[in-house]
Amino acid sequence: MLWAIPLAPALAAILTATARRPGAAKVAALAASVAAFLLVLRVVARVSLHGHDVALPGWVGVNPLAAIILLMQSFVGVTAAIYSWNYIPHLAAGSTAKEHRYFINFNLFLASLFLVPLLLQPALAWVAVELTTVLSIFLVSFDNTRVALEAAWKYAVITIMGATVAVLGIFLLLWGLTKAHVAPQTWSALVRAAPHLPPGVVELAFVLIVIGFGAKVGLVPMHTWLPDAHSQAPTPVCALLSGVEVSTVLYVILRLWPVFTAVPGFSAGTWALAVGLVSVGTAALLLLQVHDYKRLFAFSTVEHMGILLLCLGLGPLGLYACLYQLLAHGLTKSLAFYGAGAALVATGTRTIADVQGLLQSAPLAAAGLFLGGIAIAGAPPFAVFLSELAVFRAAVSTGDYLVLGLLLAFLAIAFLGILRRIGSMLFGHPGHAPVRIPPSLVIAMAVSVIPVAVLGVYLPHSLYHLFGMAAAGIGR
Amino acid sequence: MAPLVALNTVVAALFILVTFLLMVSRQIQSVLRAFVWQSLLLALSTLILAVLHGSLELVFVAAITVAAKAVVIPAVLTRTLGPELRARREIASAVNVPVSLLLMLGLSVFSYFLVAPLLTGGTPGASVNLPLGLAALLIAVYTLAIRREAVAQVLGLMAIDNGAFFAGVAITSSSAIVEMAAGLEGVMVVLVVAILTRTIAQRVGSTRVDTLQDLKEGVPL
Repeated sequence: MLWAIPLAPALAAILTATARRPGAAKVAALAASVAAFLLVLRVVARVSLHGHDVALPGWVGVNPLAAIILLMQSFVGVTAAIYSWNYIPHLAAGSTAKEHRYFINFNLFLASLFLVPLLLQPALAWVAVELTTVLSIFLVSFDNTRVALEAAWKYAVITIMGATVAVLGIFLLLWGLTKAHVAPQTWSALVRAAPHLPPGVVELAFVLIVIGFGAKVGLVPMHTWLPDAHSQAPTPVCALLSGVEVSTVLYVILRLWPVFTAVPGFSAGTWALAVGLVSVGTAALLLLQVHDYKRLFAFSTVEHMGILLLCLGLGPLGLYACLYQLLAHGLTKSLAFYGAGAALVATGTRTIADVQGLLQSAPLAAAGLFLGGIAIAGAPPFAVFLSELAVFRAAVSTGDYLVLGLLLAFLAIAFLGILRRIGSMLFGHPGHAPVRIPPSLVIAMAVSVIPVAVLGVYLPHSLYHLFGMAAAGIGR
Repeated sequence: MAPLVALNTVVAALFILVTFLLMVSRQIQSVLRAFVWQSLLLALSTLILAVLHGSLELVFVAAITVAAKAVVIPAVLTRTLGPELRARREIASAVNVPVSLLLMLGLSVFSYFLVAPLLTGGTPGASVNLPLGLAALLIAVYTLAIRREAVAQVLGLMAIDNGAFFAGVAITSSSAIVEMAAGLEGVMVVLVVAILTRTIAQRVGSTRVDTLQDLKEGVPL
C-alpha cells in the first residue's frame, strides 16, 4: 500500500519517457497525483485508527507526523499537476520535448518528496532528501535564462552542502545508538534510546543537523538561495518547492526533536526560539524591499519556516500549533503562487511596479492573487489566521511574552508588506489588454481555495485528532 | 592490531593533507586528482577499519567508495565537462593561499576541540577518524565558500561528502542498502550538477559562478 504512493508518480515518469505521445504526459501526471492523493487518504485513515501504518518493519512505515506531511504533499501534488496542464504548454511555447522533460522531472520530484516521510531510517530519509534536491534542480533551471541558471546553481550548491553537513549529524546519532547498544537504526529506536545517548554526541549532532537541514529549510542566515530558486522556477514547481519541499525537510528535524529534547541540561527549545525569531524578523524586513511578486511569497516562506521552528520552543501547545501551521502554510502558499503565476501569464512581468489594474484586465488572476496573498499574510477567515492564533496561544501558555511581542510585530510588518504590494497590483489603470486565464489555472486555484477557506473556519475532528497524536509523538 | 591502528593514523594524516591540497590547487586538473586521492585514502581507511573490526560491511563500503568516487565520478565529470576540465587557467579564489592555510589549520584544531570530549571510551579508529573527518568537512565547506569556479565548487561538495564519510565509517556501520543508496546518490549529484555547469558554461559563456549575481533585493531587474 505505502509503496504505491511514490510508485504512482515514478510510473508516470517512466510512461512519459517511453510513450512520447503529446498529451499523454499531462494525463499521466494528473492521474498519478490523484492516485497518490487517494492512497494517502487511506493511509491517513489507517493512521488515525491505529496510530501507525507499517509496510515493512524497520524500513517503510508512516506515523501521524508523516501522515500529515503526506497529506499536504499529495494535495499540493494534485493542484500542481492540474496547474501544469495549461501552464507548461504555455511556458514551453510549442516545444513538446521541453514539455515532456518537465513532466518527467515533475513526477520524479514528487516521488522523491513522498519517499522522505515513508522511510523509517534516518540515513535513508537523508538519501531521499538529497534526492529531492537532485531531482528538482532542472525544474528550477527550466526557463534556461541567465537568472534561472543562477537560481538553480545557488539552490544546488547550498542545499547539497547543507545535506552533506547534516549527514555527519545523522552518523553521530547512529554512533550514539551503537554506544547505547541498540541495534535497529530507525527513528523510533533513536527516540527510545535518546535518554541513554551520550549528551555531547547529541549536541554536536543537533548543531550539524540544524545547520545542514536548516540550509535546505531556508532558515536565516542560510536562506539566501531560497527567494531565488522559489521565484525562478515555473509556478507549479514554486508551489511544490515553497509549500511542500521545505516542510518535508523540516519534518526530518521534527522527527528527531524528541531525541534533542531528551538531553539533560541542553535546551534545544531555546535554540529553536532564537533561530526561529531571527528568521521571522529578517524575512519580514527583507519582504519590504522586494520588487518581484514571486519573491514576495518566497520571503514569506522563510518567515513561515521561522514560525514553525519557533513553535518547537513553546511547549506542548507549540508542537500542536507547529503542525497546524505546517499544513496551513503548505496549502496556502501553493494558492498564493498559483495566483502569482496567473498574474505572470496575464501581464508577462514579475515586477510589482509594472503591474496595475489586474482586477480589471484579468479578474480571475486578481482573485487568486488577492485570496492567496491575504490568506498567507494571516488575515481571517483563512487557515493561517487560525494556526497563527494557535501559535500565539502557545506563547501565552509558556509565558514567553517577549517572543510573542516580537512575533506579533514581525507578523504585522509582513502583513502590511504583502498587502501593500498586492493592493498596488490589483487597482489602478491596467497597462495591458484584458487576458483570459487558461482554465486549468483557474481550476487549480479554485481547488486550492477549498481547504484554505475550510480550515479557516473550523478544524475537522479527524485532523485535530491527527495533530494531537503527531504532537504527542514530537514531545516526549 | 596496533600496527593497523598506526597505519590508519598515517592514512588519516595523508587524508587531511590531500584535503589541504584540494583547496589550494590552482588548476582544475590537480583539484580533480586531489579529489581522487582523497577518495582512495577514504577507501583505504575504511578497509583498515574493516580488518580491525572484522566487518564485511565496511569492505563493501570501501568497494563502493572506490567505484563511485575514484572511478565513476571522475569519468562523469570528464565526459560532461571535458573542455572545462582541461582548461589551463587559474581558479580564482576569494582568499589567498597563506591566509587559507592558516584558517584551515585553525579549523583542524577547532574540530579536535569539538570532538575531544566525545571520544572517551570510543574505538581507536573513531578517535582518529572523527576529528579529522570533521576537519576535512569544515575545510571543504570553507573551500566551497571561497572558490569562484563551478567545477571547483562541485569537487568541494564531494569533498564535504568524503569528510562526512571519513568520520562516518569509523563510528557507524549502516546496512549495505543504505551504503549503496548513498554511493548512487553521490554519482547522481555530480551528474546533475555537472550538466548544470555545462549549461551555465554554454549559456553564460563562463563557469565563473561568482559573476552570476543578478538576483537580489533593492534594485528592480
